[in-house]
Amino acid sequence: MIRLRGLRISYDTGFSLEVESLDVRRGEIFAVIGPNGAGKTTLLGAMALLDRPAAGSLSLLGRDAFGGGDRLELRRAMSVVFSQPYLTAGTVADNVALPLRLRGRRDPAAVEAALALFRVGHLRDRDARTLSQGESHRTALARAFVTGPRLLLLDEPFGNLDERVREEISRDLRRVVRESGAAAVLVTQHQEGALTLADRLAVMIGGRLLQQGEPQEIFARPASKAVADFVGVETVLPGRVASRQDNLCAVEAAGRTLMAVSDCEPGDSVFFCLRPESVSVSLNSDAGGRRNNFPARIVAVEPWGLEYRVELDCGFPLQAAVTRQLVDGLGLKPGLEVYASFKAVAAHLIKR
Amino acid sequence: MEFIIEGFRKALGLILSGNPEIFSIARLSLTVSLLATALAVVVGVPLGSWIAVKKFPLKKLLIALVNTGMGLPPVVAGLVVMLFLARSGPLGFLNWLYTPKGMILAQVIIALPIITALTISAMQSVDRRFYRQVLALGATEWQAILVCLKELRLTMVAAVIAGFGRLVAEVGAVMIVGGNIRHQTRMLTTATVMETQMGNFDMAIAIGLVLLALGFAVNLALTLIQQNRVIAR
Repeated sequence: MIRLRGLRISYDTGFSLEVESLDVRRGEIFAVIGPNGAGKTTLLGAMALLDRPAAGSLSLLGRDAFGGGDRLELRRAMSVVFSQPYLTAGTVADNVALPLRLRGRRDPAAVEAALALFRVGHLRDRDARTLSQGESHRTALARAFVTGPRLLLLDEPFGNLDERVREEISRDLRRVVRESGAAAVLVTQHQEGALTLADRLAVMIGGRLLQQGEPQEIFARPASKAVADFVGVETVLPGRVASRQDNLCAVEAAGRTLMAVSDCEPGDSVFFCLRPESVSVSLNSDAGGRRNNFPARIVAVEPWGLEYRVELDCGFPLQAAVTRQLVDGLGLKPGLEVYASFKAVAAHLIKR
Repeated sequence: MEFIIEGFRKALGLILSGNPEIFSIARLSLTVSLLATALAVVVGVPLGSWIAVKKFPLKKLLIALVNTGMGLPPVVAGLVVMLFLARSGPLGFLNWLYTPKGMILAQVIIALPIITALTISAMQSVDRRFYRQVLALGATEWQAILVCLKELRLTMVAAVIAGFGRLVAEVGAVMIVGGNIRHQTRMLTTATVMETQMGNFDMAIAIGLVLLALGFAVNLALTLIQQNRVIAR
């Protein structure tokens, strides 16, 4: 569907985007995640054929997209959805029919079908400017799908929606993309959104794609410290592999020996990475078979979404994500002496 | 004071009796200014949109020039057009001097920078991302411009009102290019000047009132179009 090679875009500001290689397969939802200003939107603009890059080759739907040819026809085979719906004056049905009108077509049945896909059929005669935010985004999605696109590009879709509405629309979007068989590229800084939607992920930071792979892989095994920081691996300790038995590495870090499952060699300098969800907190020293178990003192307990973040001092800083019941049940509070444990398989080593 | 009231009384009499001369002058005035406005819109709106949307070197300089053109004194426009249309001028072969066609040409030149500049600023007020979204829906550049202009219809009608208002009230260019020839190129404005100079205040007032009424009628029509859209929202 998309085959991008050696893309380079530079700006006068000194920012440059360089993507060596990116492939999106048929029927796949591919997400590019990264912080603000990472170049995600620039990348999408190039794929949408709205901007011309300085160098690189792009094959869209099996056709060369940068080398002359009819870009309009290629643009008309795809749809782009931005973070804001950008509806035009007129009714909801007028808006959804716009892409058809631009192609010189009239197809009320297609408009009805697209409205139904995103469950806005009952709004067809409403003035588009009187819609709620969620309805506006649904209308924009119906508009994007009315032409039956084979490729869908989503730039931070529904960025400013509240969480509940965003989740609802995300679910509908996922269903529609799956049913249509179209490929989709999603760029976003919302990792949860990317996780619910995407089959594969790429992490973009500072204009470079640092890692591509399946979401679980990237979140559990970031390839670099920058990726680890971005995907919420909160404990990242510099250390050295002291020894290895089969896959089990003993890592010297912060004066402690930590166990991790990895294929790093003894002597390698590494970052020891651990997600807060992988850390258990208990009042007794029974680690229940976890290979890492340390006495710790609680530094802080802070609410974090529906859960709590517990900041621990085990001689090195460690973050744990725990439930509210656990905080109440164990009476976790700053200053309390506890035990922190985690499995060797939950830890991940990044070579430095 | 007396002669003013007397002037108005006679003027109303002239209008109500349907003085044929006044109405033929009004018809010519309306035709020339409406046609000139329409031509300026046909050229100026696409031109202004293109300038606003495209990126090219010296764009800011060009916009500054167009903006300056908004203040072009009609007498200067009239003088230049007259020189071009004069028998020995480059466009002398057209034989447009002292004809309505010549006056329309001069008025187009006055209205074009107004329509173009107002279109540029209107188009530049459109969120660039909206324009990109329309392109991304499969529009050609001209289609995207058209969609934006539709969004801007309030502002665009205001631009037409501004252009027409300037032309219907303008006297310098049509005087120089048209020559205020009776039954041929006499406009409401040039007639008002002439009658005033000749001391025919009743006729001058009558023509002046017709001019006001005409301007009001056209602007009322345009405003109704504009505001209907607002209510339709």
